[in-house]
Parts: sequence; structure tokens; C-alpha cells
Amino acid sequence: MEKKNVQQRYNLPGEIIYCKKCTISNQRPRITFDENGVCSACNYAEFKKSLDWDQREKELVDLCDRYRKNDGSYDVIVPCSGGKDGGFVAHQLKYKYGMNPLTVTWAPLLPTEIGRRNLDDFIGVGGFDHIMGTPNGKVTKLMTNLAFHHLGDPFQPFIYGQTNFPLKMAVQHNVSLIMYGENGEVEYGGDMKNAFKPTRDIEDHDKHYFSGLPPEFWVEHGVSPADLAPFCAPRYEEILRNKTQIHFFGYYKCWDPQENFYYCREHTGFTPNTERSEGTYSKYASLDDRIDGYHYYLGFIKFGIGRTTSDTAHEIRDGKITREEGIALVKKYDGEFPKKYFSDFLSYTKITEEQFWEAVDSWRSDHIWKQENGVWTLKKPIYEEG
Amino acid sequence: MKPVVTIIDYGVGNIFSVCRAFEHCGAEVRLCDSEREILQAERLVLPGVGAFADGMAGLRSRNLIEPINQFAGTGRPFLGICLGMQMLMESSEEFGLQQGLGLIPGKVVAIPSTGDNGVPHKIPHIGWNELLISETNRVGTIFDNTSSGSAVYFVHSFHVVPKFSQSRLADCDYNGRMICAAVRSDSIYGCQFHPEKSGEIGLTIIKSFLDK
Amino acid sequence: MPNIRLIARLDIKGPNLIKGVQLEGLRVMGDPEEFATRYYHQGADELIYMDVVASLYGRNNLTEIVRHSAQNIFIPLTVGGGVRSTDDVNALLRAGADKVAINTAAIKRPGLIQEVARRFGSQCMVLSIEAKKVSEGKWEAYTDNGREPSGLDVVEWAMRGCELGAGEIMLTSVDQEGTRRGFDCDLVRSVATAVPIPVIASGGMGMTEHMVEVVKAGCADAVAMADILHYKRMELPEIRAAGLDVGLHVRHL
Repeated sequence: MEKKNVQQRYNLPGEIIYCKKCTISNQRPRITFDENGVCSACNYAEFKKSLDWDQREKELVDLCDRYRKNDGSYDVIVPCSGGKDGGFVAHQLKYKYGMNPLTVTWAPLLPTEIGRRNLDDFIGVGGFDHIMGTPNGKVTKLMTNLAFHHLGDPFQPFIYGQTNFPLKMAVQHNVSLIMYGENGEVEYGGDMKNAFKPTRDIEDHDKHYFSGLPPEFWVEHGVSPADLAPFCAPRYEEILRNKTQIHFFGYYKCWDPQENFYYCREHTGFTPNTERSEGTYSKYASLDDRIDGYHYYLGFIKFGIGRTTSDTAHEIRDGKITREEGIALVKKYDGEFPKKYFSDFLSYTKITEEQFWEAVDSWRSDHIWKQENGVWTLKKPIYEEG
Repeated sequence: MKPVVTIIDYGVGNIFSVCRAFEHCGAEVRLCDSEREILQAERLVLPGVGAFADGMAGLRSRNLIEPINQFAGTGRPFLGICLGMQMLMESSEEFGLQQGLGLIPGKVVAIPSTGDNGVPHKIPHIGWNELLISETNRVGTIFDNTSSGSAVYFVHSFHVVPKFSQSRLADCDYNGRMICAAVRSDSIYGCQFHPEKSGEIGLTIIKSFLDK
Repeated sequence: MPNIRLIARLDIKGPNLIKGVQLEGLRVMGDPEEFATRYYHQGADELIYMDVVASLYGRNNLTEIVRHSAQNIFIPLTVGGGVRSTDDVNALLRAGADKVAINTAAIKRPGLIQEVARRFGSQCMVLSIEAKKVSEGKWEAYTDNGREPSGLDVVEWAMRGCELGAGEIMLTSVDQEGTRRGFDCDLVRSVATAVPIPVIASGGMGMTEHMVEVVKAGCADAVAMADILHYKRMELPEIRAAGLDVGLHVRHL
């Protein structure tokens, strides 16, 4: 299989450098490092400490006052999965700020037991109105297969759908306000342009999440426009007419995923897994989809950044662990192959194991990987740095 | 003038805690493992945890048995703690018959594995148990300021059976089994429990010993 | 009879006391010595210090904290986390620990239990077992702070550990830990009735009823508590009094 030019595709620097404060490297797409070798996410974390969060909360209260309907109809859409982040946002908006949220979930491809249980508890213990959007299963499988082969990420179609479904629900239910958890680009290192705003421009949703595959590509591979429709955003005019706004709760409240875990433990019946997620040490994040692991694993192949790197990076920024501990954890768990659901994944996507590895290896860039005696190793892992 | 206490370090047990407890009670602590220091001691403490045979071997290899016996003859205060108390006796059945210091007549045997009703109980005997001290026995001893019924911390699988009842300074009740908690022969004392691990009550007992 | 022991368990990472839920999420609570001192003065029967990142760094880092704590705390102290050899045990005992809790290293090499018991005595060899429920009446032992399954059946492992010379078992339920929903009494009873050595139940205490239940129905000899104390939901004197009220055999202070 032809090797992909990962470096060019994602515009990655040729030399791998690690952030001086956290575990992330400059290979994360769109991340920037300052002249002290500190990444934008760490700088943002520092900046968060200096913010007047009381003032930010006032802005949230004002926002809620403006959008609250008080007539029994929904006044905010909260995208969620049953996990700790959406759970935190929904619970705060409803029970602290008096809003009437409609919580919406884009269906996981292969739900896990713990994920379903947490979603049920979110609805039944937390107490929320909820809509689950499930696209045609056959279509989803085909798209997942195509995305795996052509984009090196089986999860991309899920991500399209997940991004657009809240917009659809907002328009359908005449709700203008959509409240996400955190702005991932800003919190975890990416496009920083919205670091000082509570919102994301509607036009933006195209740029990061579609990875440039046009509708024609899908049609060519057996996915008709009708099949694609559930994954797509509503028409732009409808979005405008609805006066739709996307806000981030992370702008109004200091965002800390681990604290969200504790909060949901208390308020929405959230239970962590009893075993750690493959590829990392944590048990409380991203538990709901058996396919998840392959998205993270491919991230590790493409960028040398696995799940442990991402988890430790934000825990370091949030003051939960030290960089030293983060590096030890990365050394121990990063890049661990998620074997638990491998056969489920292969049968879901109708890929053979051989095809899987062939495809995976085609995404290994020479500037990140080297092969010695048939074994692939990272050229410059963080735990070999001075 | 601080009371001076000499604690024998013979390679067995948690010396640090014992030293700290005595210091906390206002003593000047000297660790020793030589004949001369033992003979010159104002008051002597023999701590220890673990197996009887190991304890005696530790003393033997450092040639401390003779000096300890000599010290015991001087009438100066002497305290054996836990294994230290067991070694005061003539012999122990732990891992075969072993010879002790012989300072107090009696032997060391395994704690029965059942209560007196025949129901099995846990061995080692671990935990806080109430000291049963008779009123007549209490005065002038290290239990001067300790009332009967005070709980102290035990951890052992073997217990002391003194030959003479007047050696029994205090007992404790383990599911109906009377276990010797403390022994006394003139100025020689033994505590099966750990006074350095028995909170304020233990510290009071230590202070009392320092006053002897 | 000896009293049921009420033990304060402190999970320590570096210089901090931390507390998690189901051995997950490690929230910094503060200075461990401050908490430990308070529990001593409030009448804790024993203290347990667990180094929760020891397996990550391959060593136990608590020697200094043990040394400091032993300055002014005069109740038994058990220390665990990353203890892998008799030399490690010796270092901790010399620093002031009374007992050592071993889990991962014992599973990897059961002979270590024998070595520790032989060199230092069974009374200082606490076998720490993290148990995760597999099915009704069956639990699997985990290592590395509840992260890695070992394939060992908990009850069988406890019995084996006892035969090898362990003096006590500290039994933590991975499922119940930090949840405040009570102990896994079936688990505790299964182990406590299978071995002749004392069993400390750990993980799950939310209210005093749980403590009573794990002693009466679970046959525990001691109860370790963390969350309820560290978050000050209840204090030790209250907990002790509540136990005494319902006839639980705990130490009178």
C-alpha cells in the first residue's frame, strides 16, 4: 500500500520537540510552541489561572438570562455522550442556572456496556430530556470502512455526525443556543483564535472536522447524498434563521476534566470503568464506544501521540500530576494496542487483520518512526529525552 | 536532669519507634550493642519483634547475654518489650525448644488457636486489648498511672506463661484465653504489648518506667 | 477479645495525600502528616500509608514521610506501595513503620512473602489484595493500584499468602473503593472465613452502618477508611461512638 505523506498532509514540523511543561509534542496538528518551548495549551492553562472567573460566570448568567424561555420549551442544546463533560455542562445549566436543556447524543458506533449504563444514569439519575440520533447502521459501517482506508481514521464519519447533529436539533427544536463543554482547539493545543471568545463561528465547523473529503468522494464509493444527509449540517440559511450560536462552557467555567468526573460521580450517577482504558491509565474518560481505541491508536501512529500523552498533558496542566509522572505513564502505556475489541472492529468495518496492519503502516511517517528488525519504534520518544 | 535510658540494638525490630517514644517522654536515649554500655546503663530496655530464636541469636552473636544477666542482678530498672519480654523467660517453643535469658521463671508457648469455647480465632493476636491489672499489683509498678481496662496494642503469636502467678503483672482476655500482658520480677518488667504503639496510654506506661 | 480496629488509610503521591474513586482520579487533599496527626489524636487504632505511584516509578517513596510521622505518632503504622524486596522492607521498618503491605511484588514472586516473614516476622507481613468482582462469589486479584488483572482467584491467593507466612490480609474492593456505597461483604467474608489470620476490610465506607455490616456479616477484624475521614464527612470519635452504640466491639477511649 502506498505510504501517505503524513507530514505534508497535516503540515507537521520535521523535527520532533516536546513541550517543556507537559507531554505533548509539536506533532499535534495546529499546535504552536512559544520561544520558551512551551505549548499553546500550557500557556492557555496559565492564562486560565489569571482570569476573573467571577466575571466570566456573570457573563454566563447574562447569557442564560437572555436565552431562558420559561415556557416549558427547550432553551439550550447540550451535546453529550453520557460522559463526564456533557454531564457536567447539562447538570450545571439545568440545576444551577435554571435552563431547560435538551441533551443530544450522536450514537456511538459500537456502544460499550459501561457507556450505555452511564448514559442511562445520566438520563435517569441526573434527570434530563434526551434525544439519541442514530444514523443508518449499514451506511455508517461503510463510511467507517472508507474513512479508515482513505483518512486513516475510522472515527471521522462519527465525528462529522457528532458535530452536526446538535445543529440539526437546534434548528428542529427552535433552540438558538448550543452549549459545548470545552473548545478542544484552545484547551488541548490547536487553533487558538477563539481563545478569548465564548463561541465558535458557525462557518468554522467545516475546517477541522471534515478533513477535506467532498460529497463526490462519498457518492463514488456508494454513499448517496440521502445516506450522507443525517451526518450533514442543516442548510446554512436555516442555521442563520434560527440565530444559532455555539458557545463553550469552558469559556465561562475553568475547565478541568478530572473535576468533571468528580462532579458527575456526585450528581449524575457517573461510574468510571473498573479497568483502565487500553492505551492509557485512566478509567473515566471516553468510555462509550468500542471503536474509540482505534481512533486514538491511529493518532499514535500518525503523530506519535497516543491516548496517554493526551491524558497526561491535560492532567499536568490542571495540576493533577507532575511532568515526571506524566512521562513515566507515557512510557508505560502510550501506544498500547487496543486488543480487547479488535475482532469487533474488524467485523464492523469488514477489514481483515492483514489489511488493517497494511493500512496502519502506510501512515507511519519516516520522521516519527523507524523500523529495526521488523519492529517499529518511535525515533524520539519523550522518555528518552534528557 | 533527663532520665537516661539505654536501648539494646541487636539487629531485630523497629528500634526507631521505641527510641522516639522514650525521647518524647523526656528521656535521653542511648542505643547500645556492647557489654560496657549495658553495664553502665541507668535503665535498660530490650525491644524486639519477630522470632525468639533470631532474637536470642542476635544477643548471643554480640555477646550481650552475660552483660544483660549482670545488669538484671543490679536492681536497676529493666524493661523487655514484646519479643524482649518473651526473651526474659527461661525457654520458648517457637521453632523448636529455645533457651531464653532465664531472668523470670516460665516459658513461651503458642497462643491457642481457639477461644475457650473451641471456636477458632485469629492468630497472630493483633489489635488493642484491655489490660487486666489487679489493684494490689498495680501500685509501685509501671502501671502506677494506668487503670485496669486501658487498652494497649498487641501483635504476637506466642505468649508467656510465667511459672509463678506473682510474676503476672497484667493479663488480657483473648476470647476467653487469659494471655499474659505484662510480667514483673522486682525491677525487671516485661510488656507483651507495645507501649510505644499504644498512644497516650502507652506513653504513660513509659513515663512510669522512667520514674523507677 | 481484641477490639475491632478502626484504621485510617492514607493514599500518598509524592508529598500529597490524595483520594480517588474506584482507585481512579487522584485528587490532592493536602499534607499527609497533617491528616495523620489529626487521626492519631482523634483515636485512630492504626494508620496505613499507601504509595500509589510506587509501581510507576518502581520504588516506594514514603521513607521520609514515615520517618516524620513516627516522630509524634505512637500507634502502629503500616506502609505499602512498591515494596519489592526484603531490603525495601528493612528500610521502611528502620524508618519507623511497623508493618509492610505488599501486593504486586508478592503476586509476581510469592516467595517474597516467606522471605519477609522469615527475616522480620509474620506480624509485619501484610498481604495487600485488590479484588475485583468477576461473577457471584468470585473475585480476581489486581495489581498496580487496580490497573492490571493477575488471573489469580482472590480467596485462593489469600490462603496461599497465609501459608507462605503473611500475618494479616488487607483486602480492598476495587469496585467499591471511593464509592461510599459500602464494603463488598461477600468478598470480605469469603476471605475472612478462609484464613486464620486477621483481615482488614478496605474500600467503600460511606456511613457507620457499612462498618458494622462488614464486621458482622463480613467477619472483618479491622476496618480501613479513607474518603469518609479525608473529606470530613464524619470524624473518628463519632464513628467510634456509633459503633459502640450498636454493640460493635471497638476500643473505648
